[in-house]
Amino acid sequence: MAALQRVTSSLGTSASTYGSCKGEGVKVSDQFPAGLRVLVVDDDITCLRLLEKMLRRCHYHVTTCSQATAALKLLRERKGCFDVVLSDVHMPDMDGFKLLELLGLEMDLPVIMMSADGRTSAVMRGIRHGACDYLIKPIREEELKNIWQHVIRKKWHDIKEQEHSGSFEDNDRHKRENDDAENASSVNEGAGVLKDQKKRSIAKEEDDAELENDDPSASKKPRVVWSVELHQQFVSAVNHLGIDKAVPKRILELMNVPGLTRENVASHLQKFRLYLKRLSGVAQQGGISNTFCGPLDSNVKLNPLGRFDIQVLAASSQIPPQTLAALHAELFGRPSGSMVTTVDEPALLQASMQGPKCIPVEPGMAFGQPLVKCQTNMSKHFPQNVVSAEEVASGFVAWPSNSVGTLGRGSNLGGMSSHSNMLMDLLQQQKQQQQSQQLPSLPEPSHVINVQPSCLVVPSQTSATFQAGNSPASVNQNCSRSPMIDYSLLSPQSNNSSLNIGQVSNGDLKTTGVSGYSGLGSISPLSSCSVNPDNSSQQVQSSTMTIRAARQLPGLGPNISNFQSSYGAKSSEVLDQGPLRNLGFVGKCTSIPSRLAVDEFESTMNNLEHEKFYTDMNGNKVKQEPNIEFTDNTRVGIPIIPQLAQLAPTSSDLMSVFTE
Amino acid sequence: MLGWGVDRLRADMSRLLAILFHQGVLDEQFLQLQQLQDESSPNFVSECKTDGYCDCRLDREFSDYKKMGIHLNQFMGSSSSIGANRVRNVCVAFRAASEQNNRAGCLRALELLEHEYCYLKNKLHELFQMEQQRVLAAGARYPLQQH
Repeated sequence: MAALQRVTSSLGTSASTYGSCKGEGVKVSDQFPAGLRVLVVDDDITCLRLLEKMLRRCHYHVTTCSQATAALKLLRERKGCFDVVLSDVHMPDMDGFKLLELLGLEMDLPVIMMSADGRTSAVMRGIRHGACDYLIKPIREEELKNIWQHVIRKKWHDIKEQEHSGSFEDNDRHKRENDDAENASSVNEGAGVLKDQKKRSIAKEEDDAELENDDPSASKKPRVVWSVELHQQFVSAVNHLGIDKAVPKRILELMNVPGLTRENVASHLQKFRLYLKRLSGVAQQGGISNTFCGPLDSNVKLNPLGRFDIQVLAASSQIPPQTLAALHAELFGRPSGSMVTTVDEPALLQASMQGPKCIPVEPGMAFGQPLVKCQTNMSKHFPQNVVSAEEVASGFVAWPSNSVGTLGRGSNLGGMSSHSNMLMDLLQQQKQQQQSQQLPSLPEPSHVINVQPSCLVVPSQTSATFQAGNSPASVNQNCSRSPMIDYSLLSPQSNNSSLNIGQVSNGDLKTTGVSGYSGLGSISPLSSCSVNPDNSSQQVQSSTMTIRAARQLPGLGPNISNFQSSYGAKSSEVLDQGPLRNLGFVGKCTSIPSRLAVDEFESTMNNLEHEKFYTDMNGNKVKQEPNIEFTDNTRVGIPIIPQLAQLAPTSSDLMSVFTE
Repeated sequence: MLGWGVDRLRADMSRLLAILFHQGVLDEQFLQLQQLQDESSPNFVSECKTDGYCDCRLDREFSDYKKMGIHLNQFMGSSSSIGANRVRNVCVAFRAASEQNNRAGCLRALELLEHEYCYLKNKLHELFQMEQQRVLAAGARYPLQQH
């Protein structure tokens, strides 16, 4: 593809600067802002080329990417080789906001969003997600000339915070504790958002007083690596205090981790809260969901999604924060089985292999853990499930954890509505199960549970249910192809796909063995996303996954059967609760790309009036133009294309329709 | 003779462009595009136009307004980036209609969009041909001069 070629050629040019990347760290070149290293991500080739040209005229080093997944991969491989990222909001493989969050968390790069959509709601979304700036297409060169300010601002902010963090620590503590409490309630308000942004950036910088010191001379210090265990401790501490009352100081005391500062905890808490808020907003808007069943896979990859689920549950109005806290506490309080440890270690190892600055997996991992344990504790019926889940999870260790985990998280950001739905159902179901001490004896074979990448198991009523949504893939126990089927369905490249649970739920797991696979299947898109953005290579990726999955199968047989029975029971109960809701969820998932779900809701709700107004404006404008133009043309004597004549009545009809 | 051809071509192009601007078919973004073209590949404008529109995949069934919204957004981005003013305006109206699930409005918008798009495409094609001729003519006139 031309875009790929361009990327390669751009890589060639930026490769020359790569050597200097390591040496200089984050220094600013003498000719600043010339030589600024910009990465542009946009699926629209026209815009991409245009931007590249304009940026080159600004004397920037430009690298272009037409796919978000490729861009993410590139950024991870070459951390510190880019100064700023320009990303489109609407991209087929990954939501621009997901990318934005990932980049902000992983590498603290300034990210500027671009979109043809200039509505206030869209811009607000960008701000809320942490964008440094939001440019509305068409982008003018003057706007691009100024993007260097965001790089500088961030750098100076870092330096300033480092200077201040030592001397004003005590003052900061008190102030921040109060502010954190305030922020918790005002995150979604405009002022609160800005404050949060500022605090987030401050907190990020203070995070840099971290456990690793690989480059003390660099102006940017390395960040705290929030490992799974660390996050577990964090969550249990939060739960212990109560999510509304959790202040960084107390959390730090409870965690009792040497080397961790209050600022680290504060920033982590902020991010945690932001996710909760964001997911709660989505959860309230989202439809109904399938049940959230236990964690099939405590592997890193699944965790990111799991995290969202928990948080969604917590954030949703149906689930009090205390329950969430309890969930987290339960999950983290439960001693990890040997299998889980096994899972964690490789995941961490892989994460660490990616480099000390590799953070993406950690938050995802940490957040997701609760789900694994949650199941076990919340419903005593499933202790075996968890064990088997963990065993199954261990089989996934071989898969690259970092990118997948991150991607899963990233993708899940878009799929929040579905996740939230599932989580809501899950918690409700679990509550009910807690109340009722009995489980249905055996699952109906037709009730299958799909294990989501987020450790969510989505019980499917019937294959028909899911087939109504996406193209179904009946996964057979014996068929080693089944994971592959899942994978192909879960192609991140397909039009209406995202790493959405709805997609995953297509894998119709009819037998016990399959439920194990569903977990595999759910993981696959994450991996394929990170490694192979191309559609053509999707199958290759799938086959790789299949092979891995197949290898894991034999060992998981007996466990899976137990797993399945429990989950089946659960699913049947869920089904009793709300078959319609499942349908609704599936329908939504399948028909609406997740990344748009939130956007559409928000924009629709907020902008109906706005849009009407805009339409009227446009209507008037368009209506007037043709009339004027036609008369002018007649006077000038230039031949009028018949289309123009048709335009007038058409446009007025159109506008009249709009203004109705 | 050739020189006169070049000048006439240039005049024709200017006139066509003036009309397009007057009609609101093109806006100042197109000028930016032209400026970029001058410096590097002369085919930049046509390439942009082609790429931007070659996948004009608007959903005719209107079964899924959300999906339409995505396509529309992309289309809007492309069209606004090259300065296709009227096309973009129609896209905006289209998007509004789709958000309100206004099927009739969407159909009309689609119709209008096709009109605008065809018109623009023809005009740009015309422009591009004139430009090519001008380059050829100018090249013949000043064989040493590079464009």
